[in-house]
Amino acid sequence: MPPVIDKAKCIKCEICAQICPLDVIRVEKKDQEREIVVKYPYECWHCRACIKECSSNAITMRYPLSHMMFYMDVPTADRSDCKCK
Amino acid sequence: MQVKIRKEIIKTELLIIGGGIAGLQAAITAGQEGTSVIVAEKADTRRSGSGANGNDHYMCYIPECHGDDFKRVISEINEGMEGGPWQDQIMLRKMMKRSYGIIQKWESYGIDMRPTGKWVFEGHAMPGRQRYHLKYDGQNQKAVLTQKALENGAQIMNKVFINEVLVNEEGRAVGAIGFSLAEDDSEVIIFQAKAVLLATAQAMRMYPHGNPTFIFNTHSCPAAAGGAAIGYRAGARLVNLDVPYIHAGVKGFARSGKATWIGVLSDIHGKPVGPFLTKPNRETGDAMMDIWPGIFGERLDNGTGPTYMNCTELSEEDLKYQEKAFESEGIDSITEYCEQRGIDLRKSMIEFGTYDYSLAQRGIDINLDGMTTVQGLYAAGICCGNVRGNITNASVWGDVVGEHSSEYVKQVEEFDISEHPLIKEKIDFYMELMTKKIGAHWLEVNSTLQRIMNDYVGLKVRSETLLTAGIKYLADLKRYSVSELKCENSHELMRTLEVLDLIDLAEAVALTAKNRQETRGNHKRVDFTYTNPLLNDKFQTIEKTKDGIKMAFRDKEK
Ligand SMILES: Cc1cc2nc3c(=O)[nH]c(=O)nc-3n(C[C@H](O)[C@H](O)[C@H](O)COP(=O)(O)OP(=O)(O)OC[C@H]3O[C@@H](n4cnc5c(N)ncnc54)[C@H](O)[C@@H]3O)c2cc1C
Ligand code: SF4
Ligand code: SF4
Repeated sequence: MPPVIDKAKCIKCEICAQICPLDVIRVEKKDQEREIVVKYPYECWHCRACIKECSSNAITMRYPLSHMMFYMDVPTADRSDCKCK
Repeated sequence: MQVKIRKEIIKTELLIIGGGIAGLQAAITAGQEGTSVIVAEKADTRRSGSGANGNDHYMCYIPECHGDDFKRVISEINEGMEGGPWQDQIMLRKMMKRSYGIIQKWESYGIDMRPTGKWVFEGHAMPGRQRYHLKYDGQNQKAVLTQKALENGAQIMNKVFINEVLVNEEGRAVGAIGFSLAEDDSEVIIFQAKAVLLATAQAMRMYPHGNPTFIFNTHSCPAAAGGAAIGYRAGARLVNLDVPYIHAGVKGFARSGKATWIGVLSDIHGKPVGPFLTKPNRETGDAMMDIWPGIFGERLDNGTGPTYMNCTELSEEDLKYQEKAFESEGIDSITEYCEQRGIDLRKSMIEFGTYDYSLAQRGIDINLDGMTTVQGLYAAGICCGNVRGNITNASVWGDVVGEHSSEYVKQVEEFDISEHPLIKEKIDFYMELMTKKIGAHWLEVNSTLQRIMNDYVGLKVRSETLLTAGIKYLADLKRYSVSELKCENSHELMRTLEVLDLIDLAEAVALTAKNRQETRGNHKRVDFTYTNPLLNDKFQTIEKTKDGIKMAFRDKEK
């Protein structure tokens, strides 16, 4: 599920649902309560608009393996200042 | 789920469909002229469309930087990504002449057009040549344009999807039909307008993209799903659908913004593959990607690939610069992805791929005022087919339409649309879709559409037999879809109508591809392997008329 909402941090301001360009996040009414639901995860474009608009820092992205980037190390690349060490 | 109907008809002078870059610019300009404007946007204009989170290159002509030799400017632009045979030269000249004016406006609105304090031109460039892409920071552009449109009196209706433009018996655009997505029950909204602007962007999701099972893995915003079909059904002429446009970028995680990468295209050993760069160059970027975006696919097919974006030789300063530019461009998901999976651009190259056909800047045929062949129906941005230039295209033609439509609405009378027959027909159709108990989900249709387009109207080969079969299968798919599709809620109703739009456009692509009996650019006919010089200065058009579908080759410059 691409955007993951931390319920402990979420203040249910509904901004992510309003802003999402793909209508992935919806507000669902369950018995008087309004729930923020990542309803259409497969329609997410991974644009991070929801993260940028969430003032509670309640959203993190999980990048699905369907969007795996392929990479290759360059044997000759200078790694002396490499962050990964 | 229900379909509700809003009783009151919403009236305005200019109705703008799609609040992306073109739609918002038109709203600002028309608002300034005192025109009453409504923007109907299916998402939220503050973060919608392909410019949602930013852009960083604005192609422009700034005389104080580029000199007075305008002819030379145009000839150099024609050699780059945005020029060439599919650009109407008169439109290009008008667009470039107005580009500086828009940059000044954007700067005055609060978009950072010179993050370093100076005009800096970088990327999409050839070594030794003048550069025309202004490097700007567009990350707040949609919020700023929205604010400006509101200040100028425009009304913005977010979460409203428009499905049809209403045309009266005189052939004039007079309104539109849409519905609200705010609740699960959809609420139909009818608009009456003196003029209508289509600014709905391209048709993603017609061809398979990064990963065929995840059809929203597309290089541009996948919310752009064939809005040009709304114009096509209303009678507007479409142009240039038959010669595919292809793009390139990160493979796997499809994303535009290739020019924001400033490394060198390299083979698996890290050796440059193109003639332009051996060391990274911030100023030009690797022009190979613009000139030959097919390089990645072709090198895979002939076994010399894969091809990588190699940033390993960037200095620390350049790496930081690139990372910052990813934010301006709205592609910082790439940075976050790399962080999460421990990919370090200092030692690893990222594979790039050729993306499939996307219909960007293939679509509605407009004149120098931005009007389509339907009176009162305008189009702007990348849903248009005879202009190219992305952000420049969208903002300049949005501005042109804002001006022209403001004059136009003063000259025409309001037309009462309450009895328009399409309204009842459409509401009945939505009700049928929303109340059916058993039926097809839109994704079934979208995936089959992609399969048909890939196999029969594809990029690799085209022929009479393949295209004939493709046209037949598309008609079958449409027939089945109209009778079998069902939706659970307003969100699915939007996706369902989008896929029907995509089929309408796909049919127009297939018909025009069959009608172009020659090979040209990425339109490769195995049964007509030569390029016909008689078609050199022509664009192919298609339109729905009372007598059926009409195709023609028109002169490029009208
Ligand atoms: C990651 C990325 C980087 C890019 N970088 C650059 C760059 O640096 N320079 C450059 O020139 N170009 C760039 N582009 C391309 C540029 O963003 C587009 O060309 C530009 O946004 C097109 O503007 P538009 O108004 O035509 O469409 P958009 O800005 O995409 O807007 C279309 C709007 O219409 C809405 N809509 C569509 N259909 C309907 C409907 N039926 N009803 C209601 N609303 C609807 C959509 O939700 C959207 O808001 C980039 C694109 C991407 C994806
Ligand atoms: S924006 Fe953040 S706080 Fe607001 S509803 Fe969404 S996740 Fe919750
Ligand atoms: S990343 Fe973008 S598309 Fe995905 S849920 Fe967030 S706002 Fe929507």
